[in-house]
Amino acid sequence: MKQYKHLIKPYIIWAAALIVVPLIMIVLYAFTEEGNSVLTFSFTLENFAKFAESTYVNVIVKSFRLGIFTTVLCLLLGYPLAFIISRCSEKSQAFLILLVTIPEWINMLLRTYAWMNLLSDNGIINNLLEMLGMKPVSMMYTDFSVIVGLVCNFMPFMIIPIYTSLSKMDKSLIEAAYDLGANRFQTFRKVIWKLSIPGVLNGIMMVFLLSVSTFVIPKLLGGGQYMLIGNLIETQFISVGDWNFGSAISMILAVIIILFMRLMKKMDTQEE
Amino acid sequence: MKKKKSFFARFYVVICLAFFYLPILVTMFFSFNSSKSLTRFTGFSLRWYNELLQNVEISKAVYVSLSIAVMATVISTVLGTITAIGLTRSRKIVKEILLNVNNMPILNPEIVTAIGLMLLFSSIGMRKGYVTMLLAHIAFCTPYVITSVYPKVRSLDPNLANAAMDLGATPFQALIKVIVPLIKEGIFAGALLAFTMSFDDFVISYFVSGNGVKNISIVVYNMTKRINPTINALSTIVIVVIIIVLVVVNLIPLLARKNTVNMNHRLHHVIGLAAAAVLIGVMIWLGAATNGKHVLKVYNAGEYMDLSLLEQFEEENDCQVVYETFESNEMMYTKLAAGETYDVLIPSDYMIERLIKEEYLQYIDWNLIPNKKNLMEDVQNKSYDPGNRYSCPYFWGTVGILYDKTVVDPEDLKDGWELLRNPKYKGNLYMYDSERDSFMIAMKALGYSMNSTNFDEIEEAYQWLIEQRDTMDPIYAGDDVIDNMISGNKAIAVVYSGDASYIISENENLDYLTPDQGTNLWYDAMVITRDCSETDLAHAFIDFMISEESALSNTEEVGYTPTVESAFEEMKEGDYAGVSSYIPDTENPNNEIFGYQEPKVKQHYAELWTKVKAQ
Repeated sequence: MKQYKHLIKPYIIWAAALIVVPLIMIVLYAFTEEGNSVLTFSFTLENFAKFAESTYVNVIVKSFRLGIFTTVLCLLLGYPLAFIISRCSEKSQAFLILLVTIPEWINMLLRTYAWMNLLSDNGIINNLLEMLGMKPVSMMYTDFSVIVGLVCNFMPFMIIPIYTSLSKMDKSLIEAAYDLGANRFQTFRKVIWKLSIPGVLNGIMMVFLLSVSTFVIPKLLGGGQYMLIGNLIETQFISVGDWNFGSAISMILAVIIILFMRLMKKMDTQEE
Repeated sequence: MKKKKSFFARFYVVICLAFFYLPILVTMFFSFNSSKSLTRFTGFSLRWYNELLQNVEISKAVYVSLSIAVMATVISTVLGTITAIGLTRSRKIVKEILLNVNNMPILNPEIVTAIGLMLLFSSIGMRKGYVTMLLAHIAFCTPYVITSVYPKVRSLDPNLANAAMDLGATPFQALIKVIVPLIKEGIFAGALLAFTMSFDDFVISYFVSGNGVKNISIVVYNMTKRINPTINALSTIVIVVIIIVLVVVNLIPLLARKNTVNMNHRLHHVIGLAAAAVLIGVMIWLGAATNGKHVLKVYNAGEYMDLSLLEQFEEENDCQVVYETFESNEMMYTKLAAGETYDVLIPSDYMIERLIKEEYLQYIDWNLIPNKKNLMEDVQNKSYDPGNRYSCPYFWGTVGILYDKTVVDPEDLKDGWELLRNPKYKGNLYMYDSERDSFMIAMKALGYSMNSTNFDEIEEAYQWLIEQRDTMDPIYAGDDVIDNMISGNKAIAVVYSGDASYIISENENLDYLTPDQGTNLWYDAMVITRDCSETDLAHAFIDFMISEESALSNTEEVGYTPTVESAFEEMKEGDYAGVSSYIPDTENPNNEIFGYQEPKVKQHYAELWTKVKAQ
């Protein structure tokens, strides 16, 4: 079996070149100033100092608030769906899970454009309201439109892992709980919920990661004033041209996320 | 218990699925619309499918998306699988380090991964395009393959391969015949995940691609300016294909079970052959694409050219035009600074001044451009490039206020730019998400020069914008303002004159105003880069674009004001008769042209603008 040990060698080189080096590049840029050339090193902490300004702190706070809100909403809406699916017959389980995943194969941007057409002031929903004789509602470029877009795009990432852990669950445990006199609520809280925690944590990680760093959906559905951390990074690279500051923000984002993930992993292992 | 819940549960499932499928159904539905509108259905037609077939940009993008997804899937699945197998035999420390590194792209936000890769490619001087995109896709797909294959390998009995080898199998045979079939499920799941991630990727491709190589997502993203239902037609086709594939994939196991193992085997061969055929096809196409012809690389703002002109130019000159678009002058500059090479650029005045100062451009040889005689006097010899030594004017115009005549009181128009702070129209206006134009408005409203470098004046303008933001709740829109104003979503918008002409031609309730306080008089012009290797072709291109016929069809298509006299006169009397935005106001002494900004001043503006937007 020793023969296979060498199989990881190509990937070690690959990972070093295309995972580790890029991360080092970001750190390098974050701690240097001016110019987009790597050869002119001049160490600085200015890029981080700049970030301490209240505007940028607000951007981070706003991004995390939105990320947390989206994640909670996805959990609240996704858990029941995953639960219902896991209680269906095997055939319909596979079918329903397929239905949940198909939208993810359609271009995310296209789906977001469709939401723009649905939600805009003269959009499809408002046209329908008008036909029914109701007053139009302004929905585009608000928290509402952004959250609709995020939840619609990211909820499947919550549903799938929760469904996976629920479907793996030994059904006899639930029967046992009933037999031992637990009511429905107790059974759910003490047995089902407990056993689905790994899936829930996985889902939370996925959705939070995606929603906290997104920049396309807020830009399209929230307008230019909907500035999140992802947008801030994008503008630094694409329009302002300050790659050093952009790298510093990316680094801060990456560090916060990785700390968060560590925390979740810890919770996960504790549960086990 | 199940039965009792049934109704409510079913209802909930239906609601959730409706929520997921609503945007998709809307997309499909409007692909059959006979008009361009994406909100009002005017009648059934297959018009957009027809246009899809003729749209070269989209078919190239489909090809790029598909071929990259297939190759990235194949390579990352092989790489990921052998790594996962190797990992189970490695020392603990190696295993842990590698697994942790492998987790980085999964745990890191996509945008961070994208930026890291972009920095890597541009600092080693790699030409951005197909290869960088493929490398990046393999880089972010492989970790997912490893995470789905590794647990399966770990759960195998380590003695299995040994047993096979004891029975005379070579290590390779043991791998293929024993191990791989046992972890088939994990490999399949990983490959599926890789394909999905790659096919749908936007963020990473957006940052690492270049030189005209675009996947579907990038094309869609560039379409914001004037959303085009052809892309709806494309997604309808994608959906139908996915459904067919799913049906086939779900039917095959049923059929295979009936027809014994043999069938299953044959099927594997078929799939393998198909994959190989696709790969070979890709290689051939890649070889053919770079074959012989002269290539001219043009970089222009999005939706800013009649694309049929490019085909005509290609035919006349037996060459190939690689046409790329940018969202803003700054984005164009970033790409240029990152080492991408283009032959002809079409930036705005102040950016041209900057490019001249930073020596990115070369002189135009006007002897090679006989059509220069077509240019009007008004657009030549401007402050950004005195004597037009570097640039040939392309389109020109102003920035102004587009307003709804049925909503805005004519009395209020007298306030000029202050109209944008009139509380009557609170929540009823779009600002343009552009740093320089927004500061221009504030500066002009305050009576300063829009090129001011006086930090006190800049501060005052900043306060003007902050106050406006807080009292008026404006939307800082990008090019989506065009569609929004056509459908009459809000009463007031700041727009470029050319967009105004187009919008007014679609929505008659609107009119355009350039305030007396003055505005930005702008010129976009064609320039040739210093690194241009096809100077003859570049000059031919410029000459072609200012020929009378090209200029006319160009302005007809995009609505901006041409720099060619005859085209201007014809459209002024024709399609755009009476549309005030079509004739730029050159009389007002308060109008200015944007000038070059010192890096320090520029940085200051950029920071303040970020603060205005980030409430």
